[in-house]
Amino acid sequence: MPATGAPRVNSLALLILPSALLFALFFFLPIGLMAVMSVLTGNPVVMPHVGFTAKHYARIGNDSYYLEVIWTTLRIGLWTTIVALVIGYPLAHWMARIRSRSGHALLLMAVLAPMLTGIVVRTFAWMTLLSDKGVINQVLAALGLISTPLQLMYNESGIIIGLVHIYVPFMVLTLTGVIGRIDERLEQAAENLGASPWRTFLEVTLPLSLPGILAGSLLVFALAISAYVTPILLGGFQIMTLPILIYQQISANFNVGFAAALGMVLLAISLMLVIAYNHVLGLVSGQRELQ
Amino acid sequence: MPSPASPPPSQLTASIELATSTGLRRRAAHRGWGRRLYLAANIAVLVFLLAPIAIVIVFALNPTPFIQFPPVGLSLRWFEKFFASRDFMQALVFSLEVAAMTTLAATVLGASAALAIARGNLPGSRLIVATMLSPLMLPAILTGLALFQSYVLLDVGRPLWGLVAGHTLVTIPYVVRTTLAVLHNFDVRLEEAAQNLGASPTRTFFEVTLPLVKPGVLAGAIFAFIVSFDQFPVSLFLVAPGRETLPITLFNYLKFDLDGTIGAASIVSILLAFLVVIALDRTVGLRSYVKL
Repeated sequence: MPATGAPRVNSLALLILPSALLFALFFFLPIGLMAVMSVLTGNPVVMPHVGFTAKHYARIGNDSYYLEVIWTTLRIGLWTTIVALVIGYPLAHWMARIRSRSGHALLLMAVLAPMLTGIVVRTFAWMTLLSDKGVINQVLAALGLISTPLQLMYNESGIIIGLVHIYVPFMVLTLTGVIGRIDERLEQAAENLGASPWRTFLEVTLPLSLPGILAGSLLVFALAISAYVTPILLGGFQIMTLPILIYQQISANFNVGFAAALGMVLLAISLMLVIAYNHVLGLVSGQRELQ
Repeated sequence: MPSPASPPPSQLTASIELATSTGLRRRAAHRGWGRRLYLAANIAVLVFLLAPIAIVIVFALNPTPFIQFPPVGLSLRWFEKFFASRDFMQALVFSLEVAAMTTLAATVLGASAALAIARGNLPGSRLIVATMLSPLMLPAILTGLALFQSYVLLDVGRPLWGLVAGHTLVTIPYVVRTTLAVLHNFDVRLEEAAQNLGASPTRTFFEVTLPLVKPGVLAGAIFAFIVSFDQFPVSLFLVAPGRETLPITLFNYLKFDLDGTIGAASIVSILLAFLVVIALDRTVGLRSYVKL
């Protein structure tokens, strides 16, 4: 921050206006309306007399079914985050430390390729792999290892596998940036002083990459709890998560008020994650705050 | 006086040498195994990342209408089915239209916003950046739900501009981020030099600033196109029945059929995404300036 007083706002600042308008009309206003709808007794457009009510929130809080749905959503998000971290960290480390340029480019392409393939397509790919007559069961049966197909999808672990595949690139890209910024001489110093590579990793690299671990985990968790396609298809319409429930309230019941209340619950969770994420990123990048 | 237990000097050196060399050898062996484990784990992760994509390609070219592994032959029948289906073709064209409109809107709005943030000396620029990036982290399904409710309340139905506005919101962060990255990396003195040499602020902008930020804006535009083309949760709430984007059509198809048509559609959309990237690269000379 300049100590000599901020420079004057100039005419280029006006260029923010179109985006500001878009965000005001299509982001803040709708979310505000959603907050209002969640405490109204009905739709003010079609009903002449609507009042305020807390019934939608009371319904969520008093019915163990809805609490169970929220808990399932968080549990799936948590497992997805843990698995994505465990398998994403080594890859991010390799990407950050690999010497050859083309090696790095190949790894980056391997991480980005799944991101270019749409979510619906990747979920379809996992259905062909995990279903009762899918590739994995066919191969295991052909090898004589199993006689009845393993139940690999239509359960939470199937959903978690699919979500990890979709969100692990975000973890890897976040971690690579942070690990790449760690001074390698610190690791060399530890090894020269006699630490084993494992101990060097545990006592030097891992603690220094902690902000990246936190940022990546918060990002993956936030993305995983708001996923819709993967939980519904790999869960076989049997496992209910918050986004599935929200869409069901609109498409099947047209209960806009209750959907809004559920949306506010998801929004509250996400906002906490966003604030934590920005805080952690601020710690990571220090002065490079605008990147 | 030396203690009786201490060995003679020559023996001591020898034992130190021995200890060090076994230590080193043990450490080298340890490192060898650790290194192998590290590489094996990473290759397993790469297989995990890429196998599903390989499976989609195999499945799209496999002639049987059900999953069969190993594949029994090579056929283009799923591509024929995909291109012959009116539903899929309409959805593909509609998705391309929406993605084109979204890319244009997000690029113009996002790049201007980034310029305003980096060069306009706006107060609270940190908060503005956080706000503009927030659609990335707030669930897109909430953006869809909130917009859907507003359109219902305003009784406007499910218009095309409503869908494009939703897509623009979730793609703008990419443009803002890539453009800001370039603006922060380049030397402000270049602009100052141009002005010192007598260029007007407008001329400086068009002849110095704009050419220099172009790679960042383009990278953002490519991201915007790909993200819009694959967008699901916002479209889920905002598409009108009978006028659906490709991901929605694929999703509805997947609920009932698991044949190779989806594989064919996937390959077509991946190729289209690559084509867009290559076309932009050829026409505007992108220097693969991708900062994540």
